[in-house]
Amino acid sequence: MNTENNKSNSVVKRRSASQWAVAWRRFRRNKAGVFGLIVVLAVVFIGIFGDFIAPYPAFPNPQALAPFYNGNVRTPPNSHYLLGTDVLGTDVLSDILHGTKYALYVGVVVTLITMAIAIAVGAISGYFGGAVDNVLMRVTEVFLVFPSLLFILIFVRVLTLGAGVGTAINFLGITIPTGLTIVILVLAIFNWPGDARMIRGEFLRVRELEFVEAEKALGASNKRIIFRHILPNILSSIIVVASLTIAYAILLEAGVSFLGFGDVNTMTWGQILENNFANMRVVWWAELFPGLAILITVFAFNLLGDGLSDALNPRLRD
Amino acid sequence: MTEAILKIEGLKTYFFTEAGIVKAVDDVSFEVRKGESLGLVGESGSGKTVTALSVLKIVPKPGRIVEGKIEFKGQNLVGKSEKEMQPIRGSEIAIIFQDPSSSLNPLYKVETQLKDVLLAHQSMSKEEAHKRIVELLTLVGIPDPEIRMKEFPHQFSGGMKQRVAIARALALQPTLLFADEPTTALDVTIQAQVLDLLEDLKQKLGMSLVMITHDMGIIAKMTTRVVVLYAGNVCEIAKTEDLYEQPRHPYTALLLAAVPRLDRKKTLSIIPGNIPNLIEPPSGCRFHPRCKYSDAKCEVGPPTLEEVEPDHFVACYRWKNISLNGENTIQ
Repeated sequence: MNTENNKSNSVVKRRSASQWAVAWRRFRRNKAGVFGLIVVLAVVFIGIFGDFIAPYPAFPNPQALAPFYNGNVRTPPNSHYLLGTDVLGTDVLSDILHGTKYALYVGVVVTLITMAIAIAVGAISGYFGGAVDNVLMRVTEVFLVFPSLLFILIFVRVLTLGAGVGTAINFLGITIPTGLTIVILVLAIFNWPGDARMIRGEFLRVRELEFVEAEKALGASNKRIIFRHILPNILSSIIVVASLTIAYAILLEAGVSFLGFGDVNTMTWGQILENNFANMRVVWWAELFPGLAILITVFAFNLLGDGLSDALNPRLRD
Repeated sequence: MTEAILKIEGLKTYFFTEAGIVKAVDDVSFEVRKGESLGLVGESGSGKTVTALSVLKIVPKPGRIVEGKIEFKGQNLVGKSEKEMQPIRGSEIAIIFQDPSSSLNPLYKVETQLKDVLLAHQSMSKEEAHKRIVELLTLVGIPDPEIRMKEFPHQFSGGMKQRVAIARALALQPTLLFADEPTTALDVTIQAQVLDLLEDLKQKLGMSLVMITHDMGIIAKMTTRVVVLYAGNVCEIAKTEDLYEQPRHPYTALLLAAVPRLDRKKTLSIIPGNIPNLIEPPSGCRFHPRCKYSDAKCEVGPPTLEEVEPDHFVACYRWKNISLNGENTIQ
């Protein structure tokens, strides 16, 4: 591959394919992964523009209850209310479209916080080893053995009670619901240990590779080795785990909301399910379609994660 | 005699494993002189690599330097902190590793890897760095450096990768270069090229080279002086010619006899036994259980290095009583 370049006077131009170009080529061949990516992109699109495409505005706006005032409570899906209306007399399709941004907010922020903690703990633990590793891993295990769903429910309930009803944080002109943010923080705090262990394992593996020793011999500092040499080498694993974490976080938040512990003032998909649950036999459409939205989104992120995993870590494939 | 650039005295590097303390390097002393090629030879596990890593103070855990002095250009490296060592590594003392396919980070282009090293230790503009990289790659004999520097390590063959590794080690013009079995992972045809290159570069840049190898052929070709290590101890230090002509330590003689030669009809001799367990090394001279000349004295205390002739040291109680004939003997 690399000795042919002197044969003729004109130098053969070869494209230096970076790891990412190769991975993208491999990813494109994976139909399920590409499908996942397309759906994820669609979800992201709806997350950003959902408020504009929704037939009815979101709740604080009185127009949200227009179907109710028109006497269209619990209307089955028809040509006007494509997915019907729910027990409160709001349009289910609009609720789902508005809820998309919350699903993404939950997925992305939980994942960002989870990965930040997991990378910090995993990197320190895996790279330095010894007593530090011991302490950090014991702490991680403490978190792992917690019955986390129970603790999440308790923490969310206790913390959201004090958060005030319907308050929101204004961040760069975007309104962020306080209650949901608290839910996110609690989810992230109970979600990092597994990922931290994975990252620690990756650090242990890459730390032993000869190029790390070579960099050290060239005078590289620990900081440089961690951030410039080891972390980029395990980035592919981190990306895969992150995409799966997004899916898991969305599912978890839906579960917490469905159980009635979520932020009642924010219409997440789980919250729609919870609101209509008591009348499920009547308004089955108000349960089915938000459920499908969760299913499709989580499924798409999982497909994307699997596709990325195959593309970035081909050796892991069976 | 030229001055010593590196003086190792009584170096002890132990690995504190769960099975016990592995005395990988146990009381090793030798010096590297300015501009010379020194060979560090011994079987696997004799402490060659650990000695080199000790000098750079990058002994992997659970190993650490327990005792000894490593004097480089007049300063003792043993007492230095991580922070004080970083500027020395790479720019004063560099090392080339055995396997070039794993000693380069697969994620970065060759250019980036070299640039990193250049910019980490000195400030230079992008153009200067670029020029220097082309210079370095030309120096180590990589054709079309302008093009090849934009490529990733996996696009290079083993020999070419080792050239890149050498270029990287030489980027900051170290005064002392350790080459840790630099050709073991390469094809025989490429080996000679890489060795010639190292020899050539050593001449050009006037640095001192420490060749770590178990290959007596490379020692003969490349070095002017040899340190023979056995189980973490120094057996013999001599000029290469003297060592080949008249080895004084039975182990050295056996090493030499184990080199295949066409003009010798006898079957290739092997050294009986294995390298000892370094957790509980044999008492006295560590080689005595495998040595056919050993007597009661050898089992008692470790022998010290004695000067048998100018610049020829041996650590053996019985060197006066035995006659070894270098390359041609050993039954």
